[in-house]
Amino acid sequence: MSLKEQLRKDFSTITLVLMAVAIVLNIVLGQLVSLLKLPIFLDSIGTVLVALLAGPWAGGLTGLLTNLIWGLISDPVAAAFAPVAMVIGIVAGLCAKYGLFKKWWQAIISGVIITLALSIIAIPIRVYMFGGLTGSGADFITAYLLATGKDLFSAVFITVITDNLIDKIVTALLAWAIVKGLPKRFTSRFPRASAVID
Amino acid sequence: MYIPHSLYQPGDSWLHHLHPLTKLVFSLAAIVIIFSGLGGWLSAIIVGLLTMLLLWLAGLAGQVVRSIFQLLALLTVVLFLVHGLFNPNNQTILLELGPFAIGKEGLVFASTIVLRLAASLAASLLLVFTTHPAQLVQALTEVGLPHRLAYLLGSPLLLLPQIAGRVQIIQAAQQARGLETQGKLLQRVRALFPLVAPLVFSSLVDVEERSLALEVRGFSAPNPKTSLNELVDTPTQRIARWAMMLLAGLLLAVGIWWRAYSGY
Repeated sequence: MSLKEQLRKDFSTITLVLMAVAIVLNIVLGQLVSLLKLPIFLDSIGTVLVALLAGPWAGGLTGLLTNLIWGLISDPVAAAFAPVAMVIGIVAGLCAKYGLFKKWWQAIISGVIITLALSIIAIPIRVYMFGGLTGSGADFITAYLLATGKDLFSAVFITVITDNLIDKIVTALLAWAIVKGLPKRFTSRFPRASAVID
Repeated sequence: MYIPHSLYQPGDSWLHHLHPLTKLVFSLAAIVIIFSGLGGWLSAIIVGLLTMLLLWLAGLAGQVVRSIFQLLALLTVVLFLVHGLFNPNNQTILLELGPFAIGKEGLVFASTIVLRLAASLAASLLLVFTTHPAQLVQALTEVGLPHRLAYLLGSPLLLLPQIAGRVQIIQAAQQARGLETQGKLLQRVRALFPLVAPLVFSSLVDVEERSLALEVRGFSAPNPKTSLNELVDTPTQRIARWAMMLLAGLLLAVGIWWRAYSGY
């Protein structure tokens, strides 16, 4: 199958609608779970869902557009992290494609892989654009690491990993459980979903 | 729950009447020039002041300054504290506070970062404050953005209020059923799925219906689409856009060259 055909198949009308809904879920779900006061943001669960159902390209685009729209409606700073959100979608889609989303423990492994991949993109953005800090609670870790004599790059690296690891594992697990719980009638519309369900 | 609808501020200033692409190119060019690193913080100051002047002429300077302050105040404090105290490059000590010392290099680094962020925020708010998202999407389709992508940019903005409304209903319903949202960590973790799943499932349920509705209205039809609203463009703006793109590209190249040779 040529790339063009694959793209047409990956971006069918129903996939586009799914992506639009997923973008809204990314924006809204963080607020919903904030009342549980858990150290997670869940702002990429829609991205991972799309990645599992419709593949890495659709997933990556969902992440990218989420942050661009976020930048448009509430905080332009979010747009700077659009490449990070894109990597989350692409890597989640690749994990699913290569059979790393079939069992719950595989979803955990995928969460770890996603965290490592996103840190490669997130660290340069944080360091060069934001001086390594974000104005959130995670800055305490960075400050502590700098105080113990670490350089800015490794301090930010450790912060990004600790800050994201739990969130991305929970996100991957939830997305896996949701895809498993979706009716067959629905998932059969997405050819890529079979990599997760069987 | 607070769900932002858009940062767009309705108005009638000269910036509101510019073509969306002109403002988009201005914002992007400004950000490229700011981060080209030319002259350290100098490029940020020049671009920032120019942007503020344009905003002041449109009577929006006050609002933009307030927004920048809200978005950056906390980060600024943290940046100055952390880099002043712990930046590994700190050599010159300005002030000693018991076991802590505030270094000059860290403060200079922090102020460069804050200046750049403030200037690029001003440039992006110039676009976002004065351009309705729908106009921006329309302008992008006119220069060749596929309409499927345009749908992806526009549709979430319309869906957001609907799904946000559902969030409140689910929160209230699950709490009425006795879902523990306070208490021990394990209890709160257990509450996660019952909160997330109903929202996700109920939103996914109408995905199929929506896509059918789109298809029925000719969403995939290959013929050219017409638009209800017309955007006004002028030759001057077209030239200005090319000029800004050229300038940004040039300054970026010079910036990279300058960094490579000054070893900065």
